[in-house]
Amino acid sequence: VRSRFVAAALVIAFGSSRALAEDAKPTDAQILGPEDTALRIESITTRITGYNQYGFGYQSKAGPIGGPGSERLLVFEPQVEVVATQGDRVTHRIWVPIDVVTAASPHSFEPTPDVVSGASRKLEGGTFQWSTTYKADRGSQVALTSGLHIENPFRSWNAGLSGSRALADQNTVVAGSVVGILDWFDRFLITGVRNGRAERSTTMASAGVTQVLTPTTIVHVNYGLTVQEGELGNTWNVVPLANGERGAELLPSSRTRHALVGRMSQFLPWNGALRLYYRFYTDDWGIEAHSVEGPDHATPDAYALSRRSLPLSHADRAIFLHHSRAPRRHAPRRRQRPCPASVSHPWRQARRGRARAGFGAAPTLRGRVRSLLSLERLANGRRIVRPRPALLK
Amino acid sequence: LRALIAILLATSAAGCAAVPQNRRARLADPMMSVTDEPLDAYRRQKLYDTREGAAGGDGTAAGGGCGCQ
Repeated sequence: VRSRFVAAALVIAFGSSRALAEDAKPTDAQILGPEDTALRIESITTRITGYNQYGFGYQSKAGPIGGPGSERLLVFEPQVEVVATQGDRVTHRIWVPIDVVTAASPHSFEPTPDVVSGASRKLEGGTFQWSTTYKADRGSQVALTSGLHIENPFRSWNAGLSGSRALADQNTVVAGSVVGILDWFDRFLITGVRNGRAERSTTMASAGVTQVLTPTTIVHVNYGLTVQEGELGNTWNVVPLANGERGAELLPSSRTRHALVGRMSQFLPWNGALRLYYRFYTDDWGIEAHSVEGPDHATPDAYALSRRSLPLSHADRAIFLHHSRAPRRHAPRRRQRPCPASVSHPWRQARRGRARAGFGAAPTLRGRVRSLLSLERLANGRRIVRPRPALLK
Repeated sequence: LRALIAILLATSAAGCAAVPQNRRARLADPMMSVTDEPLDAYRRQKLYDTREGAAGGDGTAAGGGCGCQ
């Protein structure tokens, strides 16, 4: 009898205490207040980038027939980004980059303009890009993006979907995205006459993994596939022909591109970070490229300087090593120019039959395949281009 | 490339040991980010479009203008 009485007393006591606890447990809304769904601006970021290009290219008319023409170019690129939140789960991002280009393409022998300078000697092009991210839970989010690019005589629309999922207590994050782009632009004859419209469609898919390796090391691998169809040139480029005249640059109507990117960040004991970047690129036009950036030594001070949107980069004095290989398969009739001047361009190598390095000797890969090494520097956010006259002789 | 893939696989395999959240403070520093700041990504994308003679793709709008498309 005594044991039954004790058991009944326990049941009553615990049952009532649980009920009281549930009644007394405040809800999230009671603690934090009702969810604020108003649009709230979180950040506004601006950036200005300058490009200064020197060099010559075979598709430019600003030079002798059969020889390269000037491709002097100056670009200022202001950008602004606005990030706003709507509640705890929705984030909007609006991004507007604007390109202000002088000598949008090299002009022809003075005073006669070529087709490009007549259309856009000075050019302003702008993009309006908008994305909305929905955070489904602590480790999952999905984003919709769309954008419009306006540039005389060019229009481009894009839309995409992306998502990411954190796994293994957020030690691993997998992400994927799909984007479609439609370009619509004027078609020109090389005599400068407009010849209707041309279209180009691009479909891009990518997948990536970010992995925490140690408390101070994180790596990221991403693969991107891009398929392009339609008019893949700008219709006004010219190439020198064997008979001494100029002809229109003709390109295949499709292109499949593959890019593999690897990154690593390593925290350093003196409160810095060592970052490495590698990118492998190949496509069915026969281009292969290896790009290495780094080591990029970031410090909190340098990063803060960059975040204040001054025209300085936290990747100060980063070294870009670009290694490309000549096409092995069909070589379409295409421009033969450095663009920009210091960049190795496989098409030019194919045309010339051999490659010359701007410094040192060009390494040879697998016998007939030539390679070229070029070096660029990015200092204080400004790209320094070194012309290599030897390539143009 | 094979060597690179082997290195990536090896490092990824080493990452199977999960790092607890209370030991990831240094990874949360913005300078440790493995993804580009969006505006910096645009600059980088422009370089690659120029190098590879390709306009569009990689999730960015394919604008002309510089004559490099």
